[in-house]
Amino acid sequence: MSPHLRRLVLPLVVFGGLVLVWEMAVPALRIQQIVLPAPSGVVRTMVQTAGPIAFHARHTLVTTLIGFAAAVGLGLLLGFLIGASATANDALYPLLVGFNSIPKAAVVPMLVMWFGIGAVPAVLTAFLLAFFPVAVNVALGLATLEAELRDVLRVLGASRWQVFRKVGVPRTMPLFFASLKVAVSSAFVGSVISETVASNAGIGYLMAVAASDFNTRLAFGGLFVLAAMGVALYGVFAAIERRITAWAYAE
Amino acid sequence: MGEERRCAPPHVHLNPPGAQTAVAIRDVSYDYVTNGRVTRALARVSLEIERGTTVAFVGPSGCGKSTLLKLIAGLVRPTEGAIAVDGLTVAGPLKNVGMAFQNPVLLPWRTVLDNLLLPLEILRENQDPRAPARALWGERASALLGTVGLAGAEHRQPRELSGGMRQRVSLCRALIHEPALLLLDEPFASLDAFTREEMWELHQQLRLQREFTGVLVTHDLREAVFLAQTIYVMSASPGRIAHVHRVSLRAPRTLEQLYSAEATALIRDMREQIRPSRRAVA
Repeated sequence: MSPHLRRLVLPLVVFGGLVLVWEMAVPALRIQQIVLPAPSGVVRTMVQTAGPIAFHARHTLVTTLIGFAAAVGLGLLLGFLIGASATANDALYPLLVGFNSIPKAAVVPMLVMWFGIGAVPAVLTAFLLAFFPVAVNVALGLATLEAELRDVLRVLGASRWQVFRKVGVPRTMPLFFASLKVAVSSAFVGSVISETVASNAGIGYLMAVAASDFNTRLAFGGLFVLAAMGVALYGVFAAIERRITAWAYAE
Repeated sequence: MGEERRCAPPHVHLNPPGAQTAVAIRDVSYDYVTNGRVTRALARVSLEIERGTTVAFVGPSGCGKSTLLKLIAGLVRPTEGAIAVDGLTVAGPLKNVGMAFQNPVLLPWRTVLDNLLLPLEILRENQDPRAPARALWGERASALLGTVGLAGAEHRQPRELSGGMRQRVSLCRALIHEPALLLLDEPFASLDAFTREEMWELHQQLRLQREFTGVLVTHDLREAVFLAQTIYVMSASPGRIAHVHRVSLRAPRTLEQLYSAEATALIRDMREQIRPSRRAVA
């Protein structure tokens, strides 16, 4: 088996094995379906409620991506600012770190107070969770620019802007794209948290409703969908990263 | 013995600047501040570099050699004194200098050719009259790569090259815009001994092809003797010019000349001059 295939197949085999153990353990240990449904039952429920699940999944995806897009925009801007200017770095970086250490779930009630129940708090929570990794990685890429490289260009008459454009930006791209896969996962977490607390649509909302009805199968169904979406979002941005910044990975 | 060795104290042998002077350093001192403490890195350095020659600065670590290079390039400003390049006082980064360092710092996302063309891109964007016509770029880069034994490497990626090859590309990048002044900060220090000697010969070859004034900072005394016409031995804390040596080995120089009696004696002298200064620092 080629190493590439191996890396693809092995986790799938382990995953299949775990699901199988779960499937057999539920009847064998006489676990009640309301506590832990067997995976087959969960899948059956998912097929039966495919329409509503698809609607809520789409809603979650859209809120996640809107929050993520805003986070990328502001993260890039802030990252460039902090990375390019020592003053901006000294002034803003500690605030950024401090802000990032606030558990964002605690901000959701505030957002609901201001914007009401719905998609807006979800988008904002996604944004709040996602912009930090982007800003920090972009700033890091710029701040670690080799002094020699800057000197080589400066003595050609290059302006700071030219150094930034010709060297700073391309050099930061691998870190930027690496941050995107982290950021999109964070955005996804953010929108689902917010949906769970205060929304009337989205997989988080679906799961909250299912849980309050003791519809464990549907709650697990929502969890399966979240897992699949999370992996897919991560995978898409990991693939984009590999394509665009191949030079940073080749030996 | 075909060389005249002078161990005169510094800043007394200044001639009035003439057309032959490429770089004039006058009473330059440089202080830097760390944690509120002022340290004098260079103290009253004065010298002149004749156009078309290469001078080398040798000395113990921390004697301010690299700082001196940055001062000449205008990347840092002297605390006292002044530096003039081509008769004009340096007030900011110079605009037509080639620089190469121990670390070749190529851009990994650009091919060898695109790395070489970076200086020309900058000159063209800034509408520098020295920028050659776009049509000539490829030709000029290829010619230069041919000189350093990298013909045909235009479209290779930097990561595919060995350390010596990268350093050659870095040297080509420093020369592609045909600068009047080439500043080298230990450019060959990370190479193995044989590659380093090849690079010395290469540097000499490039110098025979085009005229530029070279300033070399190095720890390698043999390198200084091979490449420079004048060697300044510096002492540390603060950095001063302690001794000046003229190297008058015939050009073109050969590696064999480094084993001649005069070269050996010169290297031994410089070693003795640098050692006490090292002990003083320790």
